[in-house]
Amino acid sequence: MLDMMIMQAGNGLALGFLYVLIALGLSIIFGLLGIVNFAHGVFFALGAYFSLTLFNLMGWWGVPLALAIVCVIGMITEVLLIRRLYDKEPLVSLIVTFALALLAQAVIRAVWGAQGQPFNAPGWLNGVIIAGPFIIASYRIAIMVCAVVILLAFWAFMNFTPFGRVLRAGSRDPQMVQLLGINLPHVLTGTFGLGCLLAAIAGLLAAPIWTVAPTMGTDAIMPAFVVVTIGGLGSYAGAIVAGLAVGLVQALTIQFMPDASTAAMYVLMAIVLLLRPRGLFGEQWERFE
Amino acid sequence: MDQDQIQPVFTTGRRRLLGAAAGVATGCALAMPHIARAAAPIRIGLLQAKEGSIAVQAEYLQRGTFLALEQMNNQLLGQPAEIVWVDEPSAQGAAQNALQLIQQNNVVALLGGSLSSNALAEEAVAGQHKIPFMINNAAAEEITGAKCNPYTFRLQPPVPVQAAAMLPYLQSIGKRWYFLTSAYAFGQDIAASFKTLLKGIGGTVVGDDSVPMGSSDFSSYILKIREAKPDLVIGGLTSADLSNFLKQWKQFGLADKIPFTEIAVGDTDLWAVGKENVAGTYTTLWYYKDPNNSPSDKAFAAAFQKKYGKPAADKAWMGWYSAKIMFEAINKAGSTDPDAIVHALQNWQEQDGGITVHFDKWNNQLVHRFLVVGVKKNIPDDYDYFDVLRSIPDSDAAAQKAFGTAADSACHMTPL
Repeated sequence: MLDMMIMQAGNGLALGFLYVLIALGLSIIFGLLGIVNFAHGVFFALGAYFSLTLFNLMGWWGVPLALAIVCVIGMITEVLLIRRLYDKEPLVSLIVTFALALLAQAVIRAVWGAQGQPFNAPGWLNGVIIAGPFIIASYRIAIMVCAVVILLAFWAFMNFTPFGRVLRAGSRDPQMVQLLGINLPHVLTGTFGLGCLLAAIAGLLAAPIWTVAPTMGTDAIMPAFVVVTIGGLGSYAGAIVAGLAVGLVQALTIQFMPDASTAAMYVLMAIVLLLRPRGLFGEQWERFE
Repeated sequence: MDQDQIQPVFTTGRRRLLGAAAGVATGCALAMPHIARAAAPIRIGLLQAKEGSIAVQAEYLQRGTFLALEQMNNQLLGQPAEIVWVDEPSAQGAAQNALQLIQQNNVVALLGGSLSSNALAEEAVAGQHKIPFMINNAAAEEITGAKCNPYTFRLQPPVPVQAAAMLPYLQSIGKRWYFLTSAYAFGQDIAASFKTLLKGIGGTVVGDDSVPMGSSDFSSYILKIREAKPDLVIGGLTSADLSNFLKQWKQFGLADKIPFTEIAVGDTDLWAVGKENVAGTYTTLWYYKDPNNSPSDKAFAAAFQKKYGKPAADKAWMGWYSAKIMFEAINKAGSTDPDAIVHALQNWQEQDGGITVHFDKWNNQLVHRFLVVGVKKNIPDDYDYFDVLRSIPDSDAAAQKAFGTAADSACHMTPL
């Protein structure tokens, strides 16, 4: 049984890394823009759809282009729509982004059709890696490696680049950042694009294990919100820890109580919020109080 | 006789004439309501999911349904007819939408039922409001079993019938079975039916996982299955859940090692997986390349291909065939009277595949052949996945044996 639990834990971590990538983008957008973006799952789905389409047209070279396109779509969305929500009640942004998600899903269905579409990982990533009692699908190892690389790159970006520093400062005190002569609207547009880019990368990584279908964004968004809530709204470290925790809890629940596997993450969220209402790494942010 | 004398006589005559005309019109309206309402089209309600994972199958179901009416020149009883399509967001939402179709849209019949849970809710509304309802996709046994009513008819053979048809194939593979079924009516029905069959052959259940609907990651289930080392996995997953499972099943390298089987699958679920990842033995109600398809089925497949540029999935045929039967019954009934339509449905029949296709009168279940199919070793294109292994049943006697008799049925049909 211990072997089985170790296997499930490893597998849960792989799933967790996928959740981390989706949730991180959500957390960045909330942290700086103060927007609870219900349309985040759309960019996850668009990442998968554009990657599939451009891969079929141009091979693997089309994949980076697909991610860039989603990033640009995100920035355009920020300029045209999200920007108008900054001074509104949080409920308004929630409703508008929810409507945007429904609209975008309908557009995806109209453009690509309701039917799911196959998108496979390279053949050499099929099969499993066996190490003692530990068995994991090769592709899931690839997801973990990609996720770790992306997280390291994100960390470096946030800490060692001027834009990253502005982003961190802006998330705490946007007025001060603006007083220092920094063009905050451009930063906000870039931030929304960055969040969408992370969602698109997650969509690309998920496409070979989940069917590329119009509903894939909806399937992804709820775990992402749970992860962000558990980790603490706007906390990047929280998103990482909570993402891995949710993946682990789901995998282990399937081992013992499969019926409750979906409910398990909500139970975890309820427990965390009872013990720590701001989430695991949530801090008191003046601008959101 | 001068003009003053003539005028009153003429006026009286005209009043009498108008009165007589009004009387005739009223009489016609009472006697032939469908003629009296000639200005309003005859409306058929279609309950088919527009959102969620089952929307993929529902898209093909509705396309087939609309095509059936188009092929009748959008006319029923010689009048214009139209289909009003509403969503099935949930079982409760589906019941509310069914009620709306009946009370606000004045539909004369209902078609639909993408999921068993939705269909059961809609069936209750149809029975209560006495509106003929043809369920075109749901397979749970209860629909034409314990929850039956005289106004509800069903196309898909119930789960136990399809499960029994698979038994000869599954028995030869082994007797240690693992169950991976969705946590709703259809999945539970599959688990119960196959467990009964397994018990009958002295087999063993080596695992039994009930999966929440809408699950996207199956890796943890797959690890459990791998550990249990079953001879066979019995699936009861629907739509995108099935597609996701099959993709991950292949990634874990088990598609070629442990046989997988499921009943009542949809072509679209497998098309979404990709030809590199599909494996298994399934039942399906219809296959567009089945050489034994009837001439009308072949004509439908050609019409669908021409209109949509894609092969007709089984769900398209199911939408088309159930609508065709309903429309033929309405025309045969000669009116939109619900009881007359029900009577026409109960007496509707045609020949196909060596059997008389008809509704069993004790439960309103369509008796029709279905197929056991296996995935081809070399799939030639993105759609032609199956070899037809067997068509069941192949005679009226076999049909009666497969679908059972009134004595076998849990349905206690109330009178109209």
